[in-house]
Parts: sequence; structure tokens; C-alpha cells
Amino acid sequence: MSDRAAEAKAGKQINWPKISWRLLQHELRRGELTIMAAAVALAVCAVLSLSVFSERLQLGLMERSAEFLAADRILRSRGDEVPTEWLQRAQEENVASARRVTFNSMAFANDELALVDVKAVSDGYPLRGHLETAEEPFAQGEVAEGLPGPGETWVQGSLFQQLDLAIGDTLEVGESEFTVTRVLSREPDAGFSVFADSPTVLIHFDELAATGLIQPGSRVNYNYLFAGAPADLQRFEAWLLPQLDDVSQRWRNVQDGDSPLSAALERAERFMLLASLLGVVLAATAVAVAAQRYAQRNFDAVAVMKTLGGRKSQVAKIFTLHLLLLTSASIVLGLILGIVLQAVVVGWVSGALGYELPATGSGPYVLAIATGLLCALMFSLYPLLRLLKVPPLRVLRRDLTASGLSRWLHWIISGGTIFLLMVIYSGSAMLSLALFAGGVLAMVLLLSISRLFIRASRQAGMQAGSSWRLAMAGLQRRAKENSMQMLSFSVAVMLLLLVLALRHELLEDWRGQLPDNAPNYFVVNVASQQAEPMQAMFDRENLPATAMYPIVPGRLTAINGTPVRDAVSKEERDDSEYREGFGRELQLTWQADLPEENTLREGQWFAEGETGVSVESQVADRIGVSIGDELTFLIGADEFSVPVTNIRNVDWNTMQPNFYMVFSPNLIENMPATYIASFHLPEERRPELYNLFREFPQASLIDVDDILQQVRDVINHVSLAVTFVMVLVIGAGALVLVAQVQASLEEREQELVILRTLGARAALLTRSITYEFVVLGALAGVIATIAMELSIFMLQTQVFNMEPSIHWRFWILGPLVGAGVVALLGWSVCWRLLRQQTGNLIRQLA
Amino acid sequence: MALIEASSVSRNVATTAGELQILSPLSLAIDAGEVVAIVGTSGSGKSTLLSLLAGLDLPSTGDITIDNVKLNDLDEEQRAILRGEKIGFIFQSFLLIQSLTALENVMLPAELAGSRSAEKQARELLEKVGLSDRVTHYPNQLSGGEQQRVAIARAFIGQPQILFADEPTGNLDSVTGGNVEALLFELNREYGTTLVMVTHDDKLAERCDRILRLSAGKLLEPGDE
Repeated sequence: MSDRAAEAKAGKQINWPKISWRLLQHELRRGELTIMAAAVALAVCAVLSLSVFSERLQLGLMERSAEFLAADRILRSRGDEVPTEWLQRAQEENVASARRVTFNSMAFANDELALVDVKAVSDGYPLRGHLETAEEPFAQGEVAEGLPGPGETWVQGSLFQQLDLAIGDTLEVGESEFTVTRVLSREPDAGFSVFADSPTVLIHFDELAATGLIQPGSRVNYNYLFAGAPADLQRFEAWLLPQLDDVSQRWRNVQDGDSPLSAALERAERFMLLASLLGVVLAATAVAVAAQRYAQRNFDAVAVMKTLGGRKSQVAKIFTLHLLLLTSASIVLGLILGIVLQAVVVGWVSGALGYELPATGSGPYVLAIATGLLCALMFSLYPLLRLLKVPPLRVLRRDLTASGLSRWLHWIISGGTIFLLMVIYSGSAMLSLALFAGGVLAMVLLLSISRLFIRASRQAGMQAGSSWRLAMAGLQRRAKENSMQMLSFSVAVMLLLLVLALRHELLEDWRGQLPDNAPNYFVVNVASQQAEPMQAMFDRENLPATAMYPIVPGRLTAINGTPVRDAVSKEERDDSEYREGFGRELQLTWQADLPEENTLREGQWFAEGETGVSVESQVADRIGVSIGDELTFLIGADEFSVPVTNIRNVDWNTMQPNFYMVFSPNLIENMPATYIASFHLPEERRPELYNLFREFPQASLIDVDDILQQVRDVINHVSLAVTFVMVLVIGAGALVLVAQVQASLEEREQELVILRTLGARAALLTRSITYEFVVLGALAGVIATIAMELSIFMLQTQVFNMEPSIHWRFWILGPLVGAGVVALLGWSVCWRLLRQQTGNLIRQLA
Repeated sequence: MALIEASSVSRNVATTAGELQILSPLSLAIDAGEVVAIVGTSGSGKSTLLSLLAGLDLPSTGDITIDNVKLNDLDEEQRAILRGEKIGFIFQSFLLIQSLTALENVMLPAELAGSRSAEKQARELLEKVGLSDRVTHYPNQLSGGEQQRVAIARAFIGQPQILFADEPTGNLDSVTGGNVEALLFELNREYGTTLVMVTHDDKLAERCDRILRLSAGKLLEPGDE
């Protein structure tokens, strides 16, 4: 019996996994799959490290931001206490709680009287952040343990000025007397209210009743502070929220409101999302290019296997397993790299910030693995399908490749996958659709432009020397392939430029908002006769300060004759922590010139002698006024009407006195006014503060340094993150370029070998190839720059809410980088090829 | 009964200028154990005829049967199985899989057929072709002659009834070509295989039992030249 008959009897063995494994091993060893594996690993690594990092950063920022609230969540009740059952429930859910009651009252000391903000807090306060106290006003504070004891109070520095207080003095509040034991130098939840001119008097909650200040009808804010683990909070929140009446009871968390951080954070988050998506798209492109090459290289192997009796299903299994093994290995590699990378970056950022970033869940890992699988499998699906379609007849007719597979299938699969990735990342089908449609349009445009360019460059090349002529002829001959290559070069260079330019824009924008000498103190309540001496003091002491703005309190009573009920009062916005404690009145001012940092949205600034009012744009939108409307104001006993002359945009993130209403000077100039200004005092001059303002006892100082510091902190975080993202995207872009250059050189190999055999010197060939790539790269750079400008314009105006700008530097940088990088890559691959013996090359080609 | 039989087989291809006949209707029969050379000038249709006889391609008209199985009745998959069971191949350009070693290349057809002893058989064959010291070498580490010897070993591992060879010495110098030729005939005798060989080489053709001459897609009768 023959071997074969014996085997037939014994049954067949499944050998395809062995063959697949063997192929993979050898291909890996020969470096054939390096780019594909690297692209998948990079995508996984980028997604993992980015999402872990941004999630941890996000959690860290939330923690820090919670300090602005002194809690994770706040339940605010106006005028009444909430059922005690609610607090019990919090305890059951492991959510810590504390109480904070605030109201305005008068305080007496040393026969003087001042309006103060009484703040009574229970044990545990603050649940997030910490209180700081000092021995003397405006001195550097230290973290305070606990709260003021029975009969004790801690008060803010400005009250020391107003009432000529000293530590140990007695302060009368309502029916109680308190001993001032410390200077309250920092409250985490002080907020940022320039006009909250009443200093804080902090007492223990247990002392509150004895003051007799809480009577039915008193204007009192009851705040319930909560803090706990996210899951516990969520459960508590889910239980509590349906029971709130939403009129007098409001629920707040860190993300609500216009915190100075929210804008920066939101932009950073969008940037990271966008950048990681671009990174993944780039990596996917690299996978697609590499998979195409991989498939082409295996055409013969498939034809041989089929000729030797390999069934289609067997061949399919061999190469699918091959791909799966490669993908799994690359994903594992990417995960390891990602974990290491984010650990390094997190360690570095934590070090810079001085606190540990909290850990994250498994979400990012799932996302990273899914991305790796999608990238690897979907983008190599079409090349794989083509590979499996290779007919056995190819063994005799080498020109035969796969037939019967439409290229459209390729576009549909890749397009669908990119779209799917976009939806996964952005969580919004609409946004993805817009991005995707834009992308497709850009691709079609780019493709047409590149063909046009290639045709034009042929004309130019004909007049040049022989290397150039060879290069241009090559470019023209492969116009179709080259325009595809140029498309991917352009896309890669464009995405790189885009990420680079956006990062620059974001950082500049943030820096511009908070320059190093941004005002860190506000001075308010400056009497009109003291405005000039104070300005003189700023000049004398070399303190950069804004102009002195007059303030006249008043109310808006009617719009076009229709009365309004507090429609414009800042109190209306009681969801904003920063306006807390502010009365019904508006702070009105007058100015001859448009305030710095304000821009006009509609209308013209007041002409000489014109009478009118300028309205801040958001207020104008909210109360529905436009130019020409008549606004009626009540100031003191005077009621008068003025037309709206213009509408202003105000950047509330700047540390400047900003106003909703600015009058023309001729209207309220003669009304009694106090003045406000902001100035910058360097940290090391802080001890001088008390002396500097000794001559202005009525003026109150508001320290916003902490807020500035916190905002800077966040921006530093985010800048680091943004840079980190950029590096990853650049890595992905470089991979695409390498893959593409390699693929395109393979196409040229045969021609190169023929030219070499015919005696072309290596220098000539290297030069001609390099020139070809220089032209390709430079054209790609030009196209990329145009596309980058368009995209950045769209992004700035539509996504980041920034002013659009042109980036002239990139018009030089784009083509230079394109030409330089692409030519260098082309030259290096070509050089390697030409170093080999011609005979060797011929044998390889055969 | 002939092992390979072709009756009124022709092959047309579509070109931009319309249908082009690259093989005019021809009939032939090859018996088991016979050694047949197909000769002709370039473009005479030799390789086309070989591809049809081996079931790599289907004729435009006419029928081909191998061991009483009509190829026209089989789909691509069934023809692959038939090839795996009954046919071996040797090509001018060797067509070894570059990422597999010599041993693995030889094992491949047996493994695809589900053999349990592929490695043992492959080692024996490599020994026979004189390459037992080259088993772990990759194709690009072997000379042309060595690569073709690996291909011959691969062709015989499935103990095929028929061996198709397309210009087996076409890429080799005359000395190496001579050695490969000798090896091919020796193994062919040993295994009793039917050999159908396309060649330019008259001397090689002379060693065959029968010569089929093709000219411009037509099979010439003996004495037609």
C-alpha cells in the first residue's frame, strides 16, 4: 500500500494552522510585516495611552475643580431647609455631607459697622479643598485644621481694614459676640465675584441659631455639600434628583456653569478627541497601504498553493489566521506600549502638578482593543479578499491578479470603518457625518489637484537636466499611482500640520488669556476722590493695572416701556457660583472708549456727545434687546431711558472688570460712584499689600490669585496632554509615509533594475528617484497646507469657538517638510535597493 | 484508455480588437506513463495548452478529461482537489514560496492534502535531489539549480499520476539545466509518472517518448513542418 493510501485510511490531518503559523513566523523574521504590525500597535498604543491619560486627567481636574465648590455636588435651597431624610439617604449611600448657610448681615466692632457675608458651616466642611488662615491680613495662609470653635470666628482680611480689627477683638453679629481668632485667607468656594464686596465671616453652624439672624422671610442660602466616590454619588443623585422642585432647589456639579476652566477643558477635550481620531485614521491608512503590499507579495504564494491542490477555503483559513495572529500580537504589543507610555506621562504630569492623578476603569482598554481589531481587520479585508481571488493560472501567466472585485468595495469597507471609528470616538452620528462628508469632499478635491499638479510639473521638468527629466518622466508615467500616493502623502502631511497648528493656536489662545502679569487682585469700593490717588499709587509702585472704572448701582426697570422684573439682575443667574451674594442691582459704568478686551458685535461705539448704552452680547440675547431698543434704568431716585447704541462681546475669562451695561459718559457722570480696577501684584510683593492700601481704608481688595493659579494649572495640564497627543499623531503620520514610500518604490523596483542593468549609475538613479519624491512631497506639502488652512478655519469657527487665523509659517513649512521627509524616506529606501548587486536584484525580480 | 484526453479543445481571449483565438481546436490523448514534450515558438500556445491540460484554466470549446474525469464538470474548488491528488508541477521560474524554507516548500502540497507524514516524505525527497544539507535554507539563499531541485522534490511529494513541467530548465545554464533534466527523468522513471513538458529545448524534447508541435495556436501533425 502506498503512503498516500495508508493515510487516506488513517484520515486526514488539519495542517493549515501549521502552515499559517510558519508563514507568519518567517514573514515576521524577514521584517515584511513590520509596518503593518507597527501601525496596529501604534493605533492601539495611541488610543490606550490617550484615553487612559485624558480620562485620568479629566478625573484629576474634576477633583481639583470640586475644590471650587468645596464638594462634588451641591444642593442649594433658597429660603428653606430640605428634609433630613435626604441627608440620611446620603449617609446610607456612603456620600459625605456638610452644611453651609450664607446670608448678608451687619457686623460691629470698634464702634464701626460693616456689611458682611456670614458663612456658617458644619463639621466636615470643606468636603473638597481646604481652608487657609493666617495670623495677619493678606499674609501667606496655612492650611487650617477644623473650623472656628464655639464663640470664635475667622474673618477675611478686608474686614480687618474696614473695622480696624486685630486678632483677639470682639465682633458682634446679630445677637452673638465672636472673638476673631484667625484671618481667613482662602476659602475653596470663595468663588470669583468681584462685586461681592462684603467680606466673609466664618462661624460654626452650631452658633448660627444663637445669632437670631435667621427669621422667616430672611434671604438665606441653604447649601448642602456632598462628596463621595463617583458610583455612590451617581446612585444618590439618581434617587435625589426626581424629588427636587427645581425652583427653590438646585443641584450643581463641577461641570455646570461658566467656571474659568470649562472653556479650556472643553477645547482640550475636543482637541484630544479629534487628534486621536486623526491618529487612528492615519494608522489605519498605514495598515491599508501595508496590507495592500502584503497581499501583492503573496499573490504568487496563493497561486502556487491553489495550483498544488490547496482549496480556496484552506487558503482563506491560512491567510485569515495569519492576519489574526499578527493582529493579536500587534494589539498586545500596543497595549504594553500604551500602558508604559501613559504611566510615564502620568508620572511626569503628576510630578509637575504635585498630586497623583486618579486611576481609571477598563473602558480605555476595551476601546483600544476594539480600535486595533477594527483597524487591522477592516483595512486589510479588501487586500485579503483580493489575495484569495488570485487565480492558479498566475503560475503560468504572471500578469494575472485578482479579478472580479470592485475597487468600490475597498472604498466602502474603509470608508465605513472610518465612519464607524468616528462615531465610536465622537459619540455623535451627526458630527461624524459632517466630518466624514467633509473628508470625502477633501479627498476628491485633493485627488483632482494632485493630478493637475503632476501634469503641470511634467512641463516644467522637460526643461531641466537629465536626473530631473528622468524624475519628471517617471512622475508623469505613473500619474495615476502617483496621484494616489500624493493623496496619502498630502493627507498625512495635512493631518500633521493640522495637529501642529491647532496645538499652537490653543496654547497661544490660553496664554493670551492669562499672561504672566494678568491682574491677580481687584480693588473695589474706591471712593471717587480716591480714584486718582490710587491710580497714582499704581504708577508709583510700578503695578500694572487696568483703568479705574466708575460704578453706579442701578436697576433695569423696563425695556421699550414694558416693565421687567429683575430680568437682568445677576441674581437671575443663580446657577453660577461666581455671582453668589450679589444683590438685585446691576453695576453700571460709563466709558468714553470701548473697554480693552471688548469687541463690538453690532452697532458703533458712542460718538462724541451721543447718549446711549452698550449692552453685553449674552445679556442682550437673553433679555432680547437689539440696537435702538429703549432701556429704562432706575438709579437712586432717578429714572431715565436710553437707546441701545451697540452690543459688545466680553471675554469673561479675562481678569478685567467687565460690565453688562456701559453708558455713554454724559448720562450718569454726575451720579455718586465708587471705582473698581484690577492690578497685578507679583507674589514676592504680597507682604507689601497691607501697607500699599493703608491710605485707602474704604477700598476692598479681592485676591484672585488662587483662581488664576488654578486656571494656569489646568492649562499646563492640558498643554502637556495636547503635546503628547501631537507626538503620537506625528508617529502615525510618519508610519503612513514610510509605508507609502516603500510601496511606491516596490512598484518602481523593476524599472530601477532595468536601468541599473543598462548601466545607469547609482548616483543618477538615486538623484532621479529623490527628485521625484522631492516634487511629490513638495506638491503634497502645498496641497496639505491649503487643506490644513481650510480645515483649521472650519475647526476654529465651528468646533473650538476661536477667532480664525491664517498660518503663514506653515505655507513655507508645509512644502518644505513634505519635500524633505518624503525625499529622505525615498532616498533611504532607494539607496538600500541600489547597494545590492544587480544580479541579485534581477534574481529577486524573477 | 488515455490518462489525459482533449477533444476539439480551443481557447479564445477577449481583446479590445475583439475575440482572439490563441488555440485552434485540437484533440490529443496521452497515455499513462508516457513522456510527452510540447514544443513550439514563443506565442505558439504551448503554455496555454499546458494550463488547459492541467486544469488551471478551462477551454473555450471542447472537453478535457483526466483519469476519466471531465474537467468541464468540475468547479474551481473540485479542480484544485483533483490537482492536489493527481498532478504535480514544475515551473520555469521555480515559484517557490519565498517565506518558506526548502523543506517547508516541499512539504506544502502534502500538508495541503492533509498528510500526517509530510515532513518525513519531504526530507526523503530532498535527500533524493541532493539537498539534504539545504533543508532550512530560504529560496533566496539557494542557486537557480538548487531552487529547481526543490521544486522537483515538491512536485513528486504527492506521488502524482501526472507531472506538468513548464520550461523546467529555461532559467538555468546548460550544465545545471542538464543536471536538473537528468534528475527529473530519473524520478519520473522511479515513480512511473506521466510527464507533460513544455520546452524550447530540442535536445530535451528528443528525450521524450513523443513530441507535440504547436505553431500559431495549431497542433501540427507529425511531418507537417
